[in-house]
Amino acid sequence: MFKLCARCLVGDPSVESNILLKGTLVIPVCRAHREDIMFRTHVSVKAIGRLSGFIKMKPDFTTWRKLASLQRLTGKVRWKSNTRPAPVLTAAPVRALVDEQVGIRGHFLPPRCPVTLHARMHSDEGDLWESFAHYNADERGTFSLTCDPSVGGSYLGCEPMGLFWSMQPATGEREGLRLRKKNVESPYVVHISLLEGHVSLPASEGQRSELAAVTAERWYIAPGVKRIEINQNGLVGTLFIPPGPGPFPAMLDLWGMVGGLQEYRSSLLASRGYASFSLAYFGHRDLPGPLNRINVGDSYFKAAFLLLQDHPQVVSDRVGILGLSFGCYLTLRIPTKTGVKPSCLVGINGAVGSTMSLFSLDSRTKEFDSSQELRNFDDEGCVILKDAFLPANIPPDSFVKVEKLDCPLMYVVGEDDLCCASIENADLIEERLRSAGKSHLFTRLSYPGAGHLIEPPYSPCARASMWSVKPKKLTMMWGGHPAPHAAAQEDAWKKILDFLEKNLRT
Amino acid sequence: MDEKHSCVTLSVQPSRGLVDEKFVILVQNSFPSSLLTIYAHHQCEDGNSWHAFAHYTSDAAGAVNVSEDCSMGGTYSGVEAMGLLWSLKPVPGSKPGLRMRKKNVQAPMVVTISVYSSHLTEGFGDQVPLAGVEVERWYMAPGVRRIPVTEDGLTATLFLPSGPGPFPGLLDLWGGGGQLVEYRAALLASHGIASMALDYLTCKYTMETGKIVEQDYFEMAYKFLQKHPKVLGSRIAMLGLSLGTSVILKMAVHSQIMKLRCAVCVSGSHVQPMDGFLKEMLDYFSKNCGNTRFTKDNEVVWRDLLLPIPIDLSLKVDVGKLQCPLMLIVGEDDQNWCAYESAMDMKGMMERAGNSHLLTLLSYPNAGHLMEPPYMPHARVSLFRDMQSRQKMMVLWGGQTLEHSRAQEDAWRKLLVFLRKNLYSGVKSGSSSLSNL
Repeated sequence: MFKLCARCLVGDPSVESNILLKGTLVIPVCRAHREDIMFRTHVSVKAIGRLSGFIKMKPDFTTWRKLASLQRLTGKVRWKSNTRPAPVLTAAPVRALVDEQVGIRGHFLPPRCPVTLHARMHSDEGDLWESFAHYNADERGTFSLTCDPSVGGSYLGCEPMGLFWSMQPATGEREGLRLRKKNVESPYVVHISLLEGHVSLPASEGQRSELAAVTAERWYIAPGVKRIEINQNGLVGTLFIPPGPGPFPAMLDLWGMVGGLQEYRSSLLASRGYASFSLAYFGHRDLPGPLNRINVGDSYFKAAFLLLQDHPQVVSDRVGILGLSFGCYLTLRIPTKTGVKPSCLVGINGAVGSTMSLFSLDSRTKEFDSSQELRNFDDEGCVILKDAFLPANIPPDSFVKVEKLDCPLMYVVGEDDLCCASIENADLIEERLRSAGKSHLFTRLSYPGAGHLIEPPYSPCARASMWSVKPKKLTMMWGGHPAPHAAAQEDAWKKILDFLEKNLRT
Repeated sequence: MDEKHSCVTLSVQPSRGLVDEKFVILVQNSFPSSLLTIYAHHQCEDGNSWHAFAHYTSDAAGAVNVSEDCSMGGTYSGVEAMGLLWSLKPVPGSKPGLRMRKKNVQAPMVVTISVYSSHLTEGFGDQVPLAGVEVERWYMAPGVRRIPVTEDGLTATLFLPSGPGPFPGLLDLWGGGGQLVEYRAALLASHGIASMALDYLTCKYTMETGKIVEQDYFEMAYKFLQKHPKVLGSRIAMLGLSLGTSVILKMAVHSQIMKLRCAVCVSGSHVQPMDGFLKEMLDYFSKNCGNTRFTKDNEVVWRDLLLPIPIDLSLKVDVGKLQCPLMLIVGEDDQNWCAYESAMDMKGMMERAGNSHLLTLLSYPNAGHLMEPPYMPHARVSLFRDMQSRQKMMVLWGGQTLEHSRAQEDAWRKLLVFLRKNLYSGVKSGSSSLSNL
């Protein structure tokens, strides 16, 4: 039917070289120009008309509509052809620890081709989290997240790890989610797709326009790290021992009033060579008493510290404490109240005192009750606890006597922390240490735009998450904006590890 | 316990890598200028233990970087980032003739790397190291799918890369030892090529009928790949080692069904009776078994079986008729096949026929017969079960460990670039090498 190549109007098209569109329209091309047509993203309607000979005929509407849309379709031709291999997407290392950078690159694309990267993974609870970003291949048809900028999507600019930290729950998932790894012995499996063009989520063409994909594993634990459940002498927690003969420096790892037992930071510390003990102290069924009260006292934390110190694989004079939120308060309190001597302390976004008291024989315990504690919630049930933790609002007799501290303290502040007045508490601690002539012990890391939950790097920032459903649906505001929070997590983790190296190893 | 020792840290990055990925081994916080031994230990699937070690001196900061510093002795010397893997040897007391080959590609190879004080050469089990880590080496990237294939009478395993595809395809053939060897195909799939490892000597057909497969068995494998929905039918390559090379060359030139995009032939020859196929090839080798030599240790040397290279065209594949790109990889110290002489002869044939632009020849002095993916231990000699006589014998493969290991690394990198270039050709971008290789 068509005698001449549409491209050169000279060559001889053959059945193999012709380009078949949607099974109905045939663009005749000769072998020499097949590749050329394949790469054109735009073919003028006139050229197309010439191809199909329709320019001499008055096309019926259906055919005309096909012609008009041919321009858009032509760009897709090359992907639907069954003789062209797909471009390649690579990630290296493809199995990495969560605090390691991954280099993601695309190859064998048409020059300057716009593409979308779509990353998705399931949390341990089965929720789908995803992110996307728009890139443009260079004139060689390659791109690299390490040096090229995202021009749209879940993050902008040159962000090698942006696909990970910008993840959000997919639409339709449960609200108020926070991403936290429950099972540290299995990795997050992240599926990263390369899609054609700049598309948004959900991808308008769905899976059909996936050009290439790579699967990456993100691990919270290195090979050889031993995980030991601790449930003895009343202590509840999980101990992680690094591989090797030891003995190792160690860390007591404390989280906040969300409670339960969170292992993932400990397993990461062990992967970095520190024996680490995640301690449960609130809201865990193996602990005594009601779940909504702190039923353990100073002696509990002392015992936990001593468990580490006395452990045969731990260097007894190289044990530190790390805590976030209420865990930060405990980090400051434990050395001053129990007589243990840590080598260093790391506190993240915590207060110097508390309205919650720990269990002790001579004082009443208090219930952690939403209606009492959580003032400051708005009509939509969003709770901002920050003011409750202003030093002025905390009973002064609960203040930790930080001037008694004798070891280096690193205090990490998220300046957009909506849960704890971290800046004011940092100021207070700094002032008290200065008055005691101990400024040299204090290091402050302060991050604008970062929120309360400064966690190991490359995990998404939860600006808010579901706190309770009954008696009232409440969302806790943690604060933080994705990009500065991600930068804070990356920088803080590096500095924390350096701080531990300096104080626990050398 | 000396408290200072707990400060020594050992790190290997990445701790979970593909087998052809390099790692960086760092020792830190040791005494400055202290003598250290870095030690690697691996227990294989068959229970045998392998080890390697190297002697270093830490610098003024108390650090050692295996990628930059010089080993002063051990199972390797000099600056060798991956020496602790390729110089692995069976531990003293092991059975002779061992060869390390991964059977279960879905689980990683686990290597324990430790650092000891002073320069040790033995007794590693008795001393407590300063530090130790575990490293995983994987043949399969996450997302790669392993699919056993039994249709169409085939005994094969297909490995599909992660992603929607379609992918270029590859048929992977091993040599005279038979069995279904999967690890190279798994690794190629981790690099984006849908690869099928094919058993053609001990396959179900042969085990049940006692007959050697014919050309149609390989054509069936090719057709299986061609019609697979995730494989690009027009972009199928073949890769073979040893006897696999003989099959590939015959098929590439003479098969009407197979239209190979390119072929890679490792440590093999084009010498075979043109009249007939695999059975006739094996008979021809048997007929020439009088040329078998033995070393003073009674190791079998088979490299003379096909020498001298015949002039008669009825005894060798006419590679002058080849129409697809061909990469030949040979070790000049190959003691099992006359791969180097064959390669030279093939080169001559192609030059005279005018198609030598299709040929890429990689020839490595002091490399032996078993040119495998990189960083795996070199076996100069190993126990081999001959398919014909069903006897086990100690066979000399050849190669000097250091040069052989360097050759494996270089050849693998070039093989991947060659495959990518030919299987992804037509892309205007032109870039066909990946710097993370």
